Amino acid sequence: MHTPAASSPAPPLREDGSVDPAVDRACADVLSDELAVALYEHMVLARAVDERLVALQREGAIASHASAAGQEALIVGAAAAMQDADWIFPSSREFAAALWRGMPLVAYAHHAFGTRGDAAHGQSAPDPPFWRAARVASASPLVGTQIPHAVGVAWAARIQKADVAALVFFGEGATSSNDFHTGLNFAGVTRAPVVAVCRNDGWATSTPSSRQTASAGFAIKALAYGLHGARVDGGDVVAVLRVVREARARAVAGEGGTLVEAMVSRQDPSEKADTDPVARTRRHLEGRGLWDPAREERLSGEVRADLDRAVAGAMAEEKPSRDALFDHVYAELPWHLQEQRGSR
Amino acid sequence: MTQMNMVQAINAALRHEMRRDARVVVLGEDVGKVGGVFRVTQGLWDEFGDDRVVDTPLSEGGIVGTAIGMALYGLLPVPEIQFADFIYPAYDQIVSELAKLRWRSGGEYPAKLVLRTPVGGGIRGGLYHSQSPESLFIHVAGLKVVCASNPHDAKGLLLASIRDPDPVLFFEPKRIYRAAKGEVPEGDYTVPLGRAAVVRTGEDVTLLAWGAMLYEAIAAADEAKKQGIDCEIVDLRTLWPVDIDTVVASVVKTGRVIVVHEAPKTCGFGAELIALVNEKAFLYLEAPPARVCGYDTPFPYTLEMDYLPLAHRILPVIVATARY
Repeated sequence: MHTPAASSPAPPLREDGSVDPAVDRACADVLSDELAVALYEHMVLARAVDERLVALQREGAIASHASAAGQEALIVGAAAAMQDADWIFPSSREFAAALWRGMPLVAYAHHAFGTRGDAAHGQSAPDPPFWRAARVASASPLVGTQIPHAVGVAWAARIQKADVAALVFFGEGATSSNDFHTGLNFAGVTRAPVVAVCRNDGWATSTPSSRQTASAGFAIKALAYGLHGARVDGGDVVAVLRVVREARARAVAGEGGTLVEAMVSRQDPSEKADTDPVARTRRHLEGRGLWDPAREERLSGEVRADLDRAVAGAMAEEKPSRDALFDHVYAELPWHLQEQRGSR
Repeated sequence: MTQMNMVQAINAALRHEMRRDARVVVLGEDVGKVGGVFRVTQGLWDEFGDDRVVDTPLSEGGIVGTAIGMALYGLLPVPEIQFADFIYPAYDQIVSELAKLRWRSGGEYPAKLVLRTPVGGGIRGGLYHSQSPESLFIHVAGLKVVCASNPHDAKGLLLASIRDPDPVLFFEPKRIYRAAKGEVPEGDYTVPLGRAAVVRTGEDVTLLAWGAMLYEAIAAADEAKKQGIDCEIVDLRTLWPVDIDTVVASVVKTGRVIVVHEAPKTCGFGAELIALVNEKAFLYLEAPPARVCGYDTPFPYTLEMDYLPLAHRILPVIVATARY
């Protein structure tokens, strides 16, 4: 019997913006200086990408973008808690996980615009991007279907006795899906090393979480599947890193997977600096003496320039040729697709 | 050569490939120690153990969904759905995920697996153990669909299906699991996907059939022969992509075509076959193409022999088509 463990107390980042250098220094056990800076830089990048893609979507330049503004600490922190050989299954909003794993911004821009330079050849909607080189999986925008895939990857790794786990993201609305139930049930039964991160912002589109479940939150659902459960402040990158690392370590040790419920705010983060995870992380770096206004200015400039270059490159690229429509339906083009392509 | 039935031939194929390729894993409901409700996987658990022959929780969506993940990781899953009638909880995973992964990832994330499942009626299974849902999968881009009619082809087609790079739905006609017997070569051989077999040559009428209904077509053709009508019988073996060249060549020769299948008539695979024949051999046709199919009703329990397109229903259509 595995009871849901409360997340171990990580030193919390200050939510109110007050200064407490002792708290910040205590975080160094979890988060090295180098990693702290890298996480922050990726969070800033993710926020800038979000703002740019939302603007491009409003202009009609791209069809859609699933914003993750306010979730940067959760996405980047969870991705960073995994090892390189691990797999990551995003839902619609976790492009920042692919960027953390090394997907170049240019590649994501080509994906968002569906150009000839897109790894998906323009077949996939803009979100989420996949990155094969670093095992960031291709997920559909269908809710919850990626959960059994992550469990299957983790299960296969366990069968092959590899030191590999899978991280899967989804929103709290997905906990109502068949695939959430069956995926976590399989995870419990097979002891698959999976970390399932449920992003709870209180809403699925227009429906409040009280219409998704009558249970006391989502982490408690782990109990019924024989998994560990944990709830974490998804705006606190140190806490996320710690909880997901612990979950991963338990999982690959054969002690079972974890359902992590990460509390995040849906509020526009720019309107509430106290709880904005990017601002919280910046204050943390400042408290540790790792950041100053000059570095902030330099980072902003670099991110803006990189984004300008990536978007301009994607906008200038041609769309895939008509023939690309028929590629990769099957490994080889069967007769009927040869006919429809016009080559038979 | 060994005399085998379909169950033994499919079992031999699984055993052969599991010995040859360590990536192959079998998973499904009751496939382990008991060997599946039809005993197709019997003995595999004893030889290959818990990690490669897995009794899963009772969830078809979970079986296919986790098998997709296993395939992404690099294993080669051969999941079993206990009856094709139970496949619908997995339909989303098959249609939305399995069939589209290669395409939507520009070829970078193909998910290769072979989904085995018994199909068809004639075993008093009633409406939830008798259906033939092939056209629901043929309609979905990215899937291959196979249905063997005899032990030799069952082993060879299953080995070809496992070695094919695309996801394959491998339908096993349960009515002839034990009734169809024949010589099966030992060791390694494949029956290539996408190639039909002309099981009887004839000049007057082409019969297109597969699985258990092939034998009804043969029985009807035997009766027609007594009336001087010479039928050519094509066992499609791979339903999709269908062997269009063999189908068209036969219809060009005979000028007459009848499709026989158990699934309901409307929007069944027969509709597509006849549309293809019309597109490619219209000017050779001497009679309207015909279908002898299951009715557009749910599959019955008591009246299943009235529902199935048995030889006595095929024969008058052969005669009418031949004399048109």
